[in-house]
Amino acid sequence: MTDVTLKINGETRSAAVPPETTLLKMLRENFNLTGAKLGCDVGDCGACTVIVDGMSVNSCLMLAAQLEGREVLTIEGLATPDRLHPIQKSFEDCASLQCGFCGPGVIMSSKALLDANPNPSVAEIRDALAGNLCRCTGYTKMIEAVQESAKAMRGRKSERVA
Amino acid sequence: MTKKAKPVRTARAKSAGIGQPVDASGTLRLPAVTQQVAYPIEALAPKVRQQTPAVGQRATRPDGRLHGLGQTKYIDDMSFPGMLYCKIKRAGISSALIKKIDTREAAAMPGVMAIITGKDIPVNSYGPSIKDQPVLAYERVFHAGDGVAAVAAVTEQIALEALEKIKVEYEALPAIYDPVEAMKDSAPKVHPPSSNIYATKLIKKGDVEKGFRESYRVFEDTFTTQMVEHVPLEPHCSIASWDANGRLTIHSTLGRITLGRTDMARTLQLPLSRIRMVATIVGGNFGGKNEITQEPALAILSKMTGRPVKGTFTRTEEFIATTTRHPIIMHYKTGVSKEGKLIARKVRLVLDGGAYCSWSETTLGKACILSPGPYNIENVHAEAFVVYTNKTMTGAMRGFGAPQVCFAYESHMDDIAEALGIDPLEIRLRNAFHEGSSSPTGQVLHSVVVRDSLLQAAERYGWKEAQ
Repeated sequence: MTDVTLKINGETRSAAVPPETTLLKMLRENFNLTGAKLGCDVGDCGACTVIVDGMSVNSCLMLAAQLEGREVLTIEGLATPDRLHPIQKSFEDCASLQCGFCGPGVIMSSKALLDANPNPSVAEIRDALAGNLCRCTGYTKMIEAVQESAKAMRGRKSERVA
Repeated sequence: MTKKAKPVRTARAKSAGIGQPVDASGTLRLPAVTQQVAYPIEALAPKVRQQTPAVGQRATRPDGRLHGLGQTKYIDDMSFPGMLYCKIKRAGISSALIKKIDTREAAAMPGVMAIITGKDIPVNSYGPSIKDQPVLAYERVFHAGDGVAAVAAVTEQIALEALEKIKVEYEALPAIYDPVEAMKDSAPKVHPPSSNIYATKLIKKGDVEKGFRESYRVFEDTFTTQMVEHVPLEPHCSIASWDANGRLTIHSTLGRITLGRTDMARTLQLPLSRIRMVATIVGGNFGGKNEITQEPALAILSKMTGRPVKGTFTRTEEFIATTTRHPIIMHYKTGVSKEGKLIARKVRLVLDGGAYCSWSETTLGKACILSPGPYNIENVHAEAFVVYTNKTMTGAMRGFGAPQVCFAYESHMDDIAEALGIDPLEIRLRNAFHEGSSSPTGQVLHSVVVRDSLLQAAERYGWKEAQ
């Protein structure tokens, strides 16, 4: 067993996991954060995307033990009890998610993009979402939602966003 | 039940315009049955082909918020106390006799709770029409993705390690992969003694040979499509559990739970009333989650261990052990007049059915009926065959065979138009179905807007300018 202490969604958490455990598995099984999904387990589909120290990563490709002392943001950490994150709101408003399985990963990739680039072009959005597959054909609506949330986030810069 | 005071409407409620029953204390009480309200339905109903205000409006999905919050619970997001994990050993050989399955070493591993093979399944066959698919292959392997043993262990990792310790002895048999070769009498049989051709369909209208003789020119071509996997982002996943009364509950990613329940009852020899299928939001189906896969095996493992058992397919298993889209070899022969009018069309379709029937009969029917295309043709002869091969089974996938034949007849139309020097749009307009046309199977068609759609599309796309 390997002991890992890390920050998840702002809270310090610890777990003892077998050494082969991936970050995805630890999030889902040890912390019951099932928002990140297992789609392919080889880093192709992006359904497991989370943000580690500000960078979007495929959590199925990262070992839990690598997370010692680092900070993870998952889809569960975006909204507050009384407010959706602007990205979540625009994804809902634009009906960007159909079956929803790819959704948490897409939203986390979008979050990483908008944190680094508050006013991305369509090409930059496409590039940021290139690692996230959707089979219900939702890309157009997703790009619309990212543009819309970017606009909303720029508008309320002074206000705190998660 | 004590008799309650009859609800009365107070002046307050009336004046507020609520119209809800209010009890003696003055608090609002919701009626068990909501009052009927007469909506002016006629006034709101749009006239036929009138543009409704829905188009261009923003629509949100009722489940969209939970999806975005990551709070939608798919089957793999659920777990039950004491739950075990199941992994299935895949054959890895496409045609063979199973001589021996030795599970002793795997069963002795700490953490392995139960192992089953095909012989542990009461009725080891299922399928939506022909029941030719084993839950776990026993005695004979029909394609490389067949499961031969299923392990339940306390962790997924232990279950995976146990698979490697299961020893299976095979005696390789000749295999067949080409559907056209498989139709020959000399070809090895996938399901002996049955023929490899397991379903056929024939549609005849008029006299094609006469039509070809009367044609200005006759065109012939062959089109093929490849096998396609649905690749839903959510892999197949199920959890089986029993209650102390001997009732089975299956939480599953299945799209057709009632059909799945019938298959479970048959394979497990249980009355339907003892089986409960629970489906939640499916993470992509596209036709690939229309039938059971591992569920009977999970149910038996769960019964043997007395614990819930979860099975999640890996992405590899999604490709090798679930249904795919039929590859079709499509031969077209079409006779046309000088003006590009279709006079006769002969179609021969060979569907590669893979190792099991699954939804092949439905696909065969739809592909065959739609194969002449949306065109008025006096003389049609369409024949279709679906054939067993030692490959991953093919089944339902969006369109049930319609996309494949559409690719063929539209490509064929383009070739004909080019050879005759007619505009591809024009040749379609000259032949397209109109109001009251009848399909090759004799169905009289209504609300036919092929021409209108083509013309509108051409206008918007700028077809003329692009020429």
